[in-house]
Amino acid sequence: MENKNKYWRGLEELNNDAAFVAGKKNEFAEGIPLLEALNDDEGEFQSNRRDFLKYFGFSISAVALAACNQTPIKNVIPYVFKPENITPGNANWYASTCGACPTGCSILVKTREGRPIKIEGNSDSPVFKGGVCAKGHASLLGLYDNERLQAPKKDNNSSTWSEIDGEIAKALSSAKNIRIVHGTVNSPTTKKVLIDFAAKFPNSKTVNYEAVSYAALIEANKNAFGKAVVPSYNFANAKVIVSFAADFLGTWISPVEFAKAWVSKRKVSATNKEMSRHIQFESNLSMTGSNADVRYPIKPSMEGIILLNLYNKIAAKAGAPILPSVTNVEVVVNGIELTANELWNAKGNSLLISGSNNLDNQLLVAAINSMLGNFGTTVDLDNFSNQVSGDDSGFEKFVEEMESGAVDAVIFYNSNPAYSYYNSSRFANALKKVGTTITTNSSTDETGVFCKYQCPDNHYLESWNDAEPKLGYLGLTQPTITKVFDTRQAQESLLIWSGNNEEYYSYLKNNWSTMLGSSVDWNQCIHNGFIVLPSKSTSSNSFNANLSGVVAPITTSYTQSKDKLELKVYQKVSIGDGTHANNPWLQELPDPVSRTCWDNYLTIGKASADQLDLKDGDVVTVSSGKNKIENLPVMVQPGQANKTIGIALGYGRTNGGKVANGVGANAYTFTSFQNGTVSYMVADVSISKTGDGYKLAQTQTHHTIEGRNLIRDASLKEFQNDSKAGNHDSAHIISLWEEHDNKGHKWGMAIDMNACTGCGSCIVSCSAENNVPVVGRKEVIRSREMHWLRIDRYYTFKDTNTKASVSKEKEINADDNAIDFENVRVQFQPVMCQQCNHAPCETVCPVYATTHSSEGLNQMTYNRCIGTRYCANNCPYKVRRFNWFKLRDNDQFDFYMNNDLGRMVINPDVTVRSRGVMEKCTFCVQRIQAGKLKAKLENRTMVDGDVKTACQQSCPADAIVFGDLMDKDSEISKLYRNERSYVMLEEYNVQPSVYYMTKIRNTDETIAGTHKDAHKGGNEKHEEHKEEKEHAHS
Amino acid sequence: MNLQKLVTLFTAVLITHLAFADVAEGEKLYNANCTSCHAINEKIVGPALKDVDKRHSEIWILKWVKNSQAMVKAGDPEAVKISEEYNGSVMTAFPQLSNDQVKSILAYIKTGGPAPATAGSDGAAAKSEDGFYSNAMMLGLALFAFILILIVFILLSVRKVVENLYFQTFPDQADEIKISWKLNKTSFRYKLFKKHPVVGVLMVSTLFIVALSIYGFDYGNKEVGVQKGYAPTQPIAYSHELHAGKYKINCQYCHSGADKGKQATIPSASTCMNCHMHVTAKEKYNGSVSPEIQKIYTSIGWDAEKRAYIPNYKQQPIKWIRIHNLPDHAYFNHAQHVKIGKVECQACHGSVETMKVVSQQHSLQMGWCINCHREAKVDVAGNDYYEGLHKNLNGKSITVAENGGTECGKCHY
Repeated sequence: MENKNKYWRGLEELNNDAAFVAGKKNEFAEGIPLLEALNDDEGEFQSNRRDFLKYFGFSISAVALAACNQTPIKNVIPYVFKPENITPGNANWYASTCGACPTGCSILVKTREGRPIKIEGNSDSPVFKGGVCAKGHASLLGLYDNERLQAPKKDNNSSTWSEIDGEIAKALSSAKNIRIVHGTVNSPTTKKVLIDFAAKFPNSKTVNYEAVSYAALIEANKNAFGKAVVPSYNFANAKVIVSFAADFLGTWISPVEFAKAWVSKRKVSATNKEMSRHIQFESNLSMTGSNADVRYPIKPSMEGIILLNLYNKIAAKAGAPILPSVTNVEVVVNGIELTANELWNAKGNSLLISGSNNLDNQLLVAAINSMLGNFGTTVDLDNFSNQVSGDDSGFEKFVEEMESGAVDAVIFYNSNPAYSYYNSSRFANALKKVGTTITTNSSTDETGVFCKYQCPDNHYLESWNDAEPKLGYLGLTQPTITKVFDTRQAQESLLIWSGNNEEYYSYLKNNWSTMLGSSVDWNQCIHNGFIVLPSKSTSSNSFNANLSGVVAPITTSYTQSKDKLELKVYQKVSIGDGTHANNPWLQELPDPVSRTCWDNYLTIGKASADQLDLKDGDVVTVSSGKNKIENLPVMVQPGQANKTIGIALGYGRTNGGKVANGVGANAYTFTSFQNGTVSYMVADVSISKTGDGYKLAQTQTHHTIEGRNLIRDASLKEFQNDSKAGNHDSAHIISLWEEHDNKGHKWGMAIDMNACTGCGSCIVSCSAENNVPVVGRKEVIRSREMHWLRIDRYYTFKDTNTKASVSKEKEINADDNAIDFENVRVQFQPVMCQQCNHAPCETVCPVYATTHSSEGLNQMTYNRCIGTRYCANNCPYKVRRFNWFKLRDNDQFDFYMNNDLGRMVINPDVTVRSRGVMEKCTFCVQRIQAGKLKAKLENRTMVDGDVKTACQQSCPADAIVFGDLMDKDSEISKLYRNERSYVMLEEYNVQPSVYYMTKIRNTDETIAGTHKDAHKGGNEKHEEHKEEKEHAHS
Repeated sequence: MNLQKLVTLFTAVLITHLAFADVAEGEKLYNANCTSCHAINEKIVGPALKDVDKRHSEIWILKWVKNSQAMVKAGDPEAVKISEEYNGSVMTAFPQLSNDQVKSILAYIKTGGPAPATAGSDGAAAKSEDGFYSNAMMLGLALFAFILILIVFILLSVRKVVENLYFQTFPDQADEIKISWKLNKTSFRYKLFKKHPVVGVLMVSTLFIVALSIYGFDYGNKEVGVQKGYAPTQPIAYSHELHAGKYKINCQYCHSGADKGKQATIPSASTCMNCHMHVTAKEKYNGSVSPEIQKIYTSIGWDAEKRAYIPNYKQQPIKWIRIHNLPDHAYFNHAQHVKIGKVECQACHGSVETMKVVSQQHSLQMGWCINCHREAKVDVAGNDYYEGLHKNLNGKSITVAENGGTECGKCHY
């Protein structure tokens, strides 16, 4: 292992910063917080002997008083009428549709005694295939948010529905101009409600508003093909994927669906050695870009000009007319040329997408896809998507109408423009001119404070609804709990205001029988959660737009901002557009790339940072014209294109709730309305240092592994020649432990690093399943996050020194002599307890709190643990987490575990740990036990797949496989024998039960090459040892 | 001749055996299906079943059990008579029972059922062995303490009287004797508190701490549910002795979760109403509903006069007091023990069918669990899960512990 520092997690590790080196010497970043426990303020140690005696005396008398009590009375309260299908103690599952965002994934909701406690993907769904994203998992917590509006409000005072309904009906009937402002509506029945409303009030109009808009994509398809839709993309058919800053694995349109399809072309085996090629052009290092085979860091203003060049190159091949007067640009050496070749060679099976909200860019993308013949194979305009929307000019017009005083009633449904509109004060002032303002948002958000009537909507887990995320794929949402508060479904409110007193449930049911005919079994649909209608056959899509107009503006914007510092605002995988910013699970989820939580920050490349004399933790003011954000911390981000910066949206909420408020800064202020669409980039920004410093809650270098190489990878070419490429290192093994004798089961896990996209869905799923508490920003900074599962993210420089055959990427880097922080390769590696068979933690526990089970599990018994933390010291993988505090019922940690409503989310089958106790991943032992019991009750042997861990179940990329190694035909047994499988730190011979599978990158570069030599060396060493042994014997 | 005898004997044995098999199956079926409404010797919801085969023909009974309502509607005179006698209440139809099964139930009824539990034999059993927490014991202790305090007072006053007498007799010695202990260097108190104050304070505080620790330990035990003998007064004076003992209602008729999942479950008021819609014990309370049964009606909103649920009634669940408390960090699943392990309810809960007031019979501490796991054999036969799992054990029987049943992670997670 000669290239010891090949992979690094952060610049501080790479440079061996003094603070980092000092920090990693201690297993725990800080000691026991004794001083804090005794002092309220973080001052000096002030307690004295008298205080000690006082506390001592008090506790003695408290015990004495308590002892006078009788046996504490615990009640057990049965139902009055027990519902037939509920057996207390057993879970009920309901099929539903996720309402966290309009993507509309099919989900299953696990309920216990009538309260939902877990969301999982519905693996029967042909579109979403059982995956759920982090936001979907976390949306469960929104149900138990005690900051939701608990009843309707009028002028911010509690009111009743009957009072409010009367007043609203009156106001609406006298209104001349009514507007309903709504986010993306993917529900056909909700659309019908809106139509009914419009029929009742002919002077009403709907206005579509999306915080992150897809208006340009829709407009481009309208101009080009006459179809104003968001197409469906089929990544499973795409052999070559070229994405222009579209984070399709993380935030773009339908990430779960795309990840499932994308990964189907990425999984390789000894029999299938083909994989898709993924090329990403982007400025900020996105999660999708991290997973790309080739990534070109470009400035946001270059997207258009590169697309123009790409268009001309492909047009030349296709024999189509090329666009005149296009400035020739190239990325690095001849990236565009290579990309064009690859796209052309995979004609019909390629896919070009762009995340831009610029009409010109989207027109070019549509044109190129059309030339490549991708419509009907990878792009489908006929079975379109309803998951995103946007009508930026329509909303702009609406704001003008309000300003002119023409609108006298407005209803907000599922939208919060006062927060996410680029000029929120303009919007607020305009809204003040509207007489009747109504919001159906579920909390008093930024828009709600300006509204006269607040008519809170139900949480989606309390509602009946439907969804049609893609044409012909209909999902149903069913309530899984009685309403927690006195809220009312927005659709029902709209029906009542339009004079229809029908319950939304029967309205929905009737609409379904109208839509689908009476032959469709309603109960069966509810049971399945979705129904798939026959898909529409593809009609011809001929490109009809005139592209001559796109050249000039694109060229101007490119030349104008050529040397300027550019800003691209982006969505984080966890927080997204900010709708769920009040969700502590999401706030604590580290961003996949920056590994930072509880903040947004300015990401900047190393070269630009050096130029501007910026370093990690500097506080700056970012400004562009009149817009500015003050006090934003800097994070130097490898992979960020030079001369660009990035800031995440979704932060800086002012009325988001106690968790969201004051976290980060609102970057929507940098969005702007340009040429009919909202632009998410700024061509010219300036940065000035304030001189302050700020510590970000960054987990990237927590639990450091001292530069040991835990990652194995190889290029596809190497893999094609040798299935074991990159995986030849084998360690000389000495055993210190006795072998275990497994009779019944032996549980094991395999993680395919080729599949893992780093999305973090597993982390939230694990937190929900295992009652993992949230600790907050301050404690994360102290390395005290409690996540049982972390996703390590490694960077590595592209190999520029080997004299291997000049490949595509070689040429790119040929002129790069200096260390190139712009071009880094990224690798994700989920790490949870490795359930070692020779576990080092077990041998050091003085009280046998952690022991080995006959099923190969490394058990953790919380009630035996006395908190010596020896086990964490001795764990080579750093997966053990210590409860430094009581994290429930503690005002210091005022997240969901500090109130009764929030605690309803707790899984009753898993102990809630207390202060001073060590905890860690258990391989979801409660699920193993439940799976075994189910098999026993059904009088059968267990079958592969009976037990799925929470992380495995949620994975949108099917990267995690879990199963019984005693079953030689199980998936996991096969993966253990796979040539790509290896264990981390094999040389310790701790025999982990988690196997990792070599990452294969679809490049021609030499990646694993050096390892081969190491393998030889290793063998020689091995031989030597053998000889030594023989000597010893003789 | 011999052969003939042999054949006769064999036939006789066979017949007896078959008959026994019938009765055994009948008992099972009877307990599972009939006991909620019928007893053999007594009228509960439905008539007493003793001699039912003499009152009706077998064919009639078969028809009646499978669908009594059809017979009533068809105007069968016997059926109509019964229906009228029971105010038109409907007997549950059992179309799933085969003729043979009904016959076996009849065979069981013919045997007269189990001997009725003799009254009075259960009172002693209901009381816990140590009785540490029983009211009588607490009262006794309090009385004892009171008497002791009384004796102390009497002794003190006697001493005072004697002292006064002494000083009156020898007034010159009074001053000498009355010298404070603080100056009397030979007194124990002086030695302890004046000469070695640290030792004195430590001794006294140690005594305090020991006393408080005992209290504290006891308190802690109660907190985590170590409360053997705990027999609280329940909101309804429900007698398991009557229901499970006398009327032989199957445990799982009410505790229906025991074979399905984690919790055995406390029956909902609606389960009580299955019988108590009819059983009001009016005969014992001069024609008015038993006050205990009335509590169910109050909970669920049943009008005993009109024999109907009160519309829009604000129902209140019955707040039973939990007796068996496992701490939160221990996972216990009833189905695993009742259905898979085939453990009798009584093994952990004691002879509940003899208890008028239920009390906790075992400590429910970990040692108690583990002991059973060490001794109990896994019932491998008949369960494909275990059979599949233990193919390689060559039919050796194993205990729960040998199957990993004493490992921490089986109950603590």
